[in-house]
Amino acid sequence: MKQQLDALSDAMFAHLAVVSSEKELQELKIRYLGKKGELTAVMKRLATLSAEDRPTMGQAINSIKERFEEEVASRLTGMKESDKLRRLASERIDVTLPGRQSAVGTRHPVTLVMEEVSEIFAGLGFQVAEGPEIELDFYNFEALNFPKDHPARDMQDTFFLEGERLLRTHTSPVQVRTMLRHAPPVRIIAPGTVYRCDSDATHSPMFHQIEGLMVDKGITFGDLKGILTIFLNQYFGKGIGMRLRPSYFPFTEPSAEVDIACVICKGKGCRVCKNSGWLEILGAGMVDPEVFRHVGYDPDAVTGFAFGMGIERLAMLKYGINDMRFLFENDIRFLSQF
Amino acid sequence: MIISYNWLKEFVDCDLPPSELADLLTMLGLEVEGMRHLGAGFDGVVVAVVEEKAQHPNADKLSLCKVNDGVRIHTVVCGAQNFSAGDKVALARLGTVLPGDFKIKKSKIRGEESCGMLCSEKELGLAAESAGIMILTTDAPLGTPLFESLGLKDTIFEIGLTPNRADCLSVIGVAREVAAKLGKTIRFPGYVINECGPPIAKVAMVTVEDSDLCPRYAARYLTGCVIAPSPAWLVSRLEAVGMRSINNVVDVTNYVLMEYGHPLHAFDFDRLSGGKIIVRRAEVGELFKTLDGQERPLLSTDLTIRDGERAVALAGIMGGENSEIAPDSTNILLESACFDPSAVRRSSKRLGLHTESSHRFERGADISIVTQALDRAAALMAELAGGVVAQGIIDIYPDKVHPRQLHVRLERINAILGTALTGAQVTEIFTSLQFHVHESEPGSMIVSVPTFRVDIHREIDLIEEVARLHGFNAIPGTMPTARVFSDRPPLRQTMAKSLRDLLTAHGFSEVVNFSFFGIDLLDKLLLPPEDTRRQTIRLLNPLSDDLAVMRTTLLPGLLQSAERNLSRRSLNLRLFELRRVYHPVPGEELAHEPLYLGGILTGRRHPEGWNHETAVIDFFDVKGVLENIFAQFRVRGIVYDSGNLEPFYHPGKGCTLVVGNEIIGSCGELHPDLLERFSIEQPLYYLELNFEKLLLKCGAAIAVVPPSRYPDTFRDIALLVDDSLPAAAVLDTIRGQKIKELEGVELFDLYTGQGIAEGKKSIAVRVRYRSPDRTLTDDEVTPLHARIIDNLVKKLAITVR
Repeated sequence: MKQQLDALSDAMFAHLAVVSSEKELQELKIRYLGKKGELTAVMKRLATLSAEDRPTMGQAINSIKERFEEEVASRLTGMKESDKLRRLASERIDVTLPGRQSAVGTRHPVTLVMEEVSEIFAGLGFQVAEGPEIELDFYNFEALNFPKDHPARDMQDTFFLEGERLLRTHTSPVQVRTMLRHAPPVRIIAPGTVYRCDSDATHSPMFHQIEGLMVDKGITFGDLKGILTIFLNQYFGKGIGMRLRPSYFPFTEPSAEVDIACVICKGKGCRVCKNSGWLEILGAGMVDPEVFRHVGYDPDAVTGFAFGMGIERLAMLKYGINDMRFLFENDIRFLSQF
Repeated sequence: MIISYNWLKEFVDCDLPPSELADLLTMLGLEVEGMRHLGAGFDGVVVAVVEEKAQHPNADKLSLCKVNDGVRIHTVVCGAQNFSAGDKVALARLGTVLPGDFKIKKSKIRGEESCGMLCSEKELGLAAESAGIMILTTDAPLGTPLFESLGLKDTIFEIGLTPNRADCLSVIGVAREVAAKLGKTIRFPGYVINECGPPIAKVAMVTVEDSDLCPRYAARYLTGCVIAPSPAWLVSRLEAVGMRSINNVVDVTNYVLMEYGHPLHAFDFDRLSGGKIIVRRAEVGELFKTLDGQERPLLSTDLTIRDGERAVALAGIMGGENSEIAPDSTNILLESACFDPSAVRRSSKRLGLHTESSHRFERGADISIVTQALDRAAALMAELAGGVVAQGIIDIYPDKVHPRQLHVRLERINAILGTALTGAQVTEIFTSLQFHVHESEPGSMIVSVPTFRVDIHREIDLIEEVARLHGFNAIPGTMPTARVFSDRPPLRQTMAKSLRDLLTAHGFSEVVNFSFFGIDLLDKLLLPPEDTRRQTIRLLNPLSDDLAVMRTTLLPGLLQSAERNLSRRSLNLRLFELRRVYHPVPGEELAHEPLYLGGILTGRRHPEGWNHETAVIDFFDVKGVLENIFAQFRVRGIVYDSGNLEPFYHPGKGCTLVVGNEIIGSCGELHPDLLERFSIEQPLYYLELNFEKLLLKCGAAIAVVPPSRYPDTFRDIALLVDDSLPAAAVLDTIRGQKIKELEGVELFDLYTGQGIAEGKKSIAVRVRYRSPDRTLTDDEVTPLHARIIDNLVKKLAITVR
C-alpha cells in the first residue's frame, strides 16, 4: 500500500506539473480528491489496515492531500494572475479618439464683458443697477445737463419714438434714476443696451455700455483716477499704461477721456491706435453740479464721479475682433469661440 | 477744426516739433486726430544753381548741365529750354521719390550720364500745368529744401473739438491755448485802416429790429473794389485748412473767419435795395434762395438780414444769391455781427444747412471781437481788392457784454480735484488763460473771464480750467474713503446669471439680436390680429424698414439667427437669447420692458462624433431643458398644457407652461408654415419663458425628507389606455394615492402598434415602495399595490395587461 501511495503521489504531482488551465486543474482535483477520487479511494482502504499501520498511512495520505491542495491553490492563484495579466495586455484602446462630449454652449462676448466688468466693480462695492431703454428726454438729456437746442446734443444721434420718447443713447440716465430714488452715498455700475442712429464697420445702431457712479462726501478727481487705475489693471492686466485727457461731457466737469496704452502694439504705434500708441477706452469726470441740482443733491455736501465705457470696444480689444458686425451676426462659428 | 502750424506761428512763438505740439494740444483737450506734413517727401528737392549749360552731344533738344547744390556739382541732362546758366533751379537729387512713385536714379540718356533732375512746378505738385522747369527767385542758400525755401513746408493738424470749445474754432484761439500752456504771450495781427471814403452813415443804414436774436451788428463800407483772384499766399493758406478760394473779397472774409473765428459776410452793396440793412425775423412762408442756389421756405423764427425789400441773408448761416459778390461788384458792405446761438441752431437744423458760420454761432461767438475782426477784414480787403474804406463804422451794440465775474474757492478746487494747489499756482493758471484774478480774501478769489470763453459760467467751469492747465496726469490717483454698505445683488441678476450657466451647460450658445425689427415679421409669425404682440412701439427715424419697431417677441430674431447659421451649414444648433422685449403701456410714459428667455433647438441631439447616437432633437429634449430650469429654480406645479397653444407651433406638438393660473411660457415644435416663411428646411423647436414671471414663481421652500436606510421594492404595471389619455393622468393618479410607503413612480415604456388595438396605447410604469423604518415584505406591498391598480381602473377606464 505504501508503494501504491508513493506511486499515486508521484503521479498526482507529475500531473499537476503539466496542468495548464483552470479547468484541467479542477478536473485534476476531482480526479484525485473527489468523492470517487483516486486518493480518496486509497483513504477508504485505510480501514482494511492493521491498527498499528493505520495512523502512519493515514498521516501519509493526509500529508499528500494537504500538499496537493496547497499546490492546487497556489497554481490556481498563479493562473488567475497570469490570466488577468494576459487580459490586461490584450485590452487596449486608442486614447486619442475623441471623447464623448455633451454639447456645451457659450455666453455672448457682450455678456462676458458685462459680467467681468460688473464683477470687478462689485469687488469695489459697486451695485448693479438697471433702467429702461425706452427713455424720456428728461432722463437721457435734460437732467444730464444737455439743454435743448444745444450742440452737445449732436454728439449723440438719437432714435426717437412715438409719444415724445426716445431710445436711450447712453446708460447715463440710470445715474439720474438712481440718484432720484436713493440718498447718497451711491455706488452703482449700470450695464445696458443703448442706441444711436448710426451704422457701419465701427458703429452699430444698437450697442452696449457700462456706466459707473460714485457719490459721497469728499470724493475727488484723484479718487476717480484711483478707481479707474484699479479697474484697467484688473481688466487688461497689471501695469497697463493709462492717461487722462481733458474732454467734454455735459454731465461731468471736469471731464476726461481715458486712454490706455495700445494693447496691440504696446504703445509703439500701429493701425489700431492710429499710430498714437493710445486707445480711447472710456469717458469719465466729476458729476456736474447741475446734475446734482436736478436730482436734489446738495453739490456743496457731496461730490462724485461717473464714468462710462463701450462694451463692444472692450470686447473687440480683448478678443481681437476687427469688425463690430460679427457681434450681432450670431454665427455659431464665431460664438463658439468664447 | 484744421490748423496750419505756419499760420499758428504768426501768433505765438512755438518751436516744438509737430508731434510734440500735437501731444500738447491733445493733453489740453484739443484732441489732434490727424496730422499731415506738407512738402513731406520732397526733402531731396533742393535749391541749386546751374553753373554750366552745354548742348548734349547726341541730342538736339537736350542740354547737359553742371548743377551746384552747395555740396557738390551734379551732371544733369535736361530737356527744358527755359533756363540758362546762373539760374536758380529745383534739383531733385538722386534717391528722391517724386509723386507717382517716380524715383530719381542715375541713368544714361543718349550716352550721357544724368545724376538728378531739374523739376517743373507740375512735377512738384505746385501747379496743374507748367512750361519748362521751375526758375527760383529765392535768396535761400544752395541746398535748402525747396519747400522750406518757398515757405510751403507746413504741418496741418486736424483737431476734434468738443462742442464747448467755441473759442478754439480759429487759429488765434488755438494759439491762445498754446501760449497759455507754454507761458508765452500772443501776438494779434497788425493792420492799419486807411479810412478815406465817404462817411458810412451817409451811405448805409442799419436797423436791428429783433435785437433779442442779434445782440450786436457792425458793418463797414468799401468802395471801388476790384474782384479778382486772390494772391497765391492767400489761396495756399485757405487750401491748407481745407477751404476753396473764390475771389479776393470772399477769401478775405474766410481768411478772417479762420484767423479770428468770427464769421463775416460781404454784401454787394449795389444790390441792396435802398442801401439799407434791417435785421428782423422772416415773414411766414417767405421763400429765400441761399448762395448755394437752393430755394428755402422760411418760418417766423428764422432771423434774416434784409434790405429795403427782401431777405438778403439767413442771419449767421448763409448769404443770399440776390446780394452775393459777383465779378462786377465794386461797392461792398461788410457785416460782422453776433446772433443768438439757439436761434441759429434751430434754423440751421431745420433747413439742413450747416456752415462754417452757423457752426460757430451756435456754439457761441465772441461778442467783443466783432469790430476787431471787421477792421482786420476791411484793411485786408482794401489791400487785396484795392477798395477804399469809408469813414467810420456802424456798430449797433445796445447792451455791452462785460467779462463775467466768478467767485472761486481754493478749498473747493482742491476738494474736487484731490490736489493741494496754492493760491499762487491757481492764479498763475488763470492769468495764463488771460483771466483776471482779483483776490478778495484768502482762499477765495474773483476771476473775470474774457468774453471769448463762452463756456465758462460757474465755479466748476473754472475748476476744470485749473485741472486742464495743471494737467490731468499731474493729479495723483487715490482710493476713495467710502462708507460701508451692503446689499446682496438683486435676485434677477443672480438668476439671470445662473440661467445663462444652465443653458450653456445644456449646449445653448447665447445670441444678441437687435431690439428692433420689421413689422412684417409679426405677420410671418402667424399671429392673429388681436394678439398683443402686434401692439408695437414705432421708431420715428429708423435706419430701415427692417429696424422700424421695437420687438415684442424674441422668436423672429432667433429664427433669423437660425436661418443664417443653417444656410452656412451649421446644422446642429442650440441658441438662446435672454433679453428684453418692449410693450407699450396705455396711459404710461414708459414702456413695459420684460426680460424674456427664448431658445431654439434643431439638428442632432448629441454632437456629431464616432461614438455618439445619431438621434435628432424632438419635443422631449426641449421639455427636458425646461424641466431642468424649473428644478434648478425650484418652480413647482408646472402644467404642460396642450390647450391655448401659440399659433406658431405645430398644432399637435406644443404646449403652454402654466403655473398657478398664469401662463409663464411655451414650448414645442415650430409650425412648418412658419419655418417655410423663414426659409428653414428642418424641424426646429422653440422654448420661451417670461423671465419676470419666472422670478415670481421660483424659490419654493426646500423641506428635506431623510433618506431611508431600508431597501425599496418595486412593482411594474402595464396599462392599456386610450391614446388620447395624457400620461400625466396615470402618473398623477398614482401619485395622488395617500400611501406613505409609495416612494415614487416612473413611466418606463410607451408602446403603440402591432398587438395594440387602434386608438389605444400601452404604458408601463414602475411603482416604488419603501418604508423609513423597516424592510417591507411582499405581504405588506401586495395590498398597497392592489389599491393603486383599483384606483387607476376606477378613475381612468384603463385595462391592466
